[in-house]
Amino acid sequence: MSAAARRWLGEQVATSGTLTDLVCAPLDRGWSKRWLMALLGSLALAFLGALAVGYSLLEGPGVWGNNTAVVWGFPIANYVWWIGIGNAGTLISSLLLLTRQNWRASINRFAEAMTLFAVAIAGIFPILHLGRPMYFYWLAPYPNTMDLWPQWRSALVWDFWAILCYLLFSVVFFYVGLLPDLATLRDRETLGRGWRKIYGVAALGWQGSAAQWQAHERLHRALAVIATPLVCSVHSIVGLDFAASLMPGWTEGIFPPFFVVGALFSGFAMVTLIALVIRHALGLEAIVTPAHFDAMAKIMLAASVAMGLSYGTEWFTSWWTGEASDARFLRFAFTGPYWPFTVGMILANVVAPQAFWFPAARRSPVALVSVSLAILVGMYLERINIIIDTLSIGYVPSFWKLYAPTLVDGAILAGTAGLFVALMLIASRYLPMVSIHESRRLVAEASR
Amino acid sequence: MSPLAVASFLHEAAFRDAVAAARADGRRVVGCWSPYPVEGLPATDAPRGIVAAVVAAGLVMAAALFVLEGWSATRGYPFNEGARPLMSWQAFLIAPIEFGALSAALGGLVALIVRARLTRLNDPAFDLAELAGASRDRFVLALACADFEAAERTADALSRAGAETSRVAAR
Repeated sequence: MSAAARRWLGEQVATSGTLTDLVCAPLDRGWSKRWLMALLGSLALAFLGALAVGYSLLEGPGVWGNNTAVVWGFPIANYVWWIGIGNAGTLISSLLLLTRQNWRASINRFAEAMTLFAVAIAGIFPILHLGRPMYFYWLAPYPNTMDLWPQWRSALVWDFWAILCYLLFSVVFFYVGLLPDLATLRDRETLGRGWRKIYGVAALGWQGSAAQWQAHERLHRALAVIATPLVCSVHSIVGLDFAASLMPGWTEGIFPPFFVVGALFSGFAMVTLIALVIRHALGLEAIVTPAHFDAMAKIMLAASVAMGLSYGTEWFTSWWTGEASDARFLRFAFTGPYWPFTVGMILANVVAPQAFWFPAARRSPVALVSVSLAILVGMYLERINIIIDTLSIGYVPSFWKLYAPTLVDGAILAGTAGLFVALMLIASRYLPMVSIHESRRLVAEASR
Repeated sequence: MSPLAVASFLHEAAFRDAVAAARADGRRVVGCWSPYPVEGLPATDAPRGIVAAVVAAGLVMAAALFVLEGWSATRGYPFNEGARPLMSWQAFLIAPIEFGALSAALGGLVALIVRARLTRLNDPAFDLAELAGASRDRFVLALACADFEAAERTADALSRAGAETSRVAAR
């Protein structure tokens, strides 16, 4: 085995055949009791969220914590948090593909699946937040009897295009990468006849001929070239939702790149958590190795440093401007009633990941889980801080109001978490969670 | 019925050598299938136009949306928003960039389906039993032969070249 490739594979994976069997084993086994329990639990949580959404639709946004000053609240914080996680999968996959990092093969499939589900969930929130969600299609340009057209200068319309196009693009990117693996499932004798037919249709008659591989490689690379700037643009647009306004704490030129780094940061934390679970639950210890966690932890460490720098730049700019409203915003963030969130955010996003300077922490499941969870919580605190710190203490003192989420807000957030877990569980049972054809190449490289 | 010599290889190196030798002998490679992309293999129908389709679809659809934005904002529904110019082209760039990226991906997918001859669920190649192995861990080579006697000799030669199995098939 070549040492460079061997680093990313366990000893058990000696041939393409053993690798294929290992990745397909969860699909061969079918439902397990543990999987079913987890699915039912997550669906129950999703159902709770659906009830909360239904209640919100019946009663209106008054059942949320939003008030006349803090008009965004949880729905927009949830949106920004979920789309941040959603941005990371395609970014990780495309960046690692373009930089020829073969180890991506072990993580890119579930990272891309994570993207699809997280972006789809993120898209729910702006629609709900409209207050009249049944009219969300007015954002699309179409000839209508009222002769109206969308307001193209609106950040809401930018979001509509960004989320929709990114979601559909990610579906295509995911499907193109999956195509050869669907053919593997089609030809797998251990799967039921009905399932093999379904996989066969989805594989579109893929044969694995030299011409097909050449065409596939060209398209996959072309999509990766587009995906990388696309991902940056999507979260930059989310950053512009804030930066294009005139509110203290939001009119920051650094917001678009700051949001992109934050997305990568939280996305890698979620990928690390999913990788830990999938590795253990699906028996993929030989494919998702400690070396992968070491690499992902290093990226989280680098991103945490960038986050720290971004926070510092943001706060320094607010102070340096000398604007009374900006100075008030800064004081409020650190000494106002929400100060624990600010401190919590710094501890979780900047301090906790520093543990990854130590190689032992980068390979310890306990440290990886703890820091990844801290980052996810810290990034949520960041999203909610951005919204409530600014809106609670805007320009007009008569408009200063504090924000507190309601149980309905909490139930909707918990419901989306349940939905996300349920979708990941379903995907893990019916699709190969590791890119088989790309991993085979790594096996071949390792055996040279 | 034209005869074929079909061989299945376990190792990539032997497969590549066999393909190179067949080409050097001037044989017609009917098809070579592998579980992952193998560099340097001859494609019977080299796929062209994939990247062109991606670029063309992206640019055309992005331009189309930009034109729609410009027309709707200046003619279809001119709306004075704080005295900002009706043709606020900077703000209008965002949606076309996103839509262009999506259109490029869809254009590329259509190009892949056409150029890689996908959606042929009952392609004659599937009649070769060896093909199922190519989606797992085998490398499959099919060579056209003048007659069945030549096909037998070719199959033997492929076997000596390291093929795990080789046989004569009719097409």
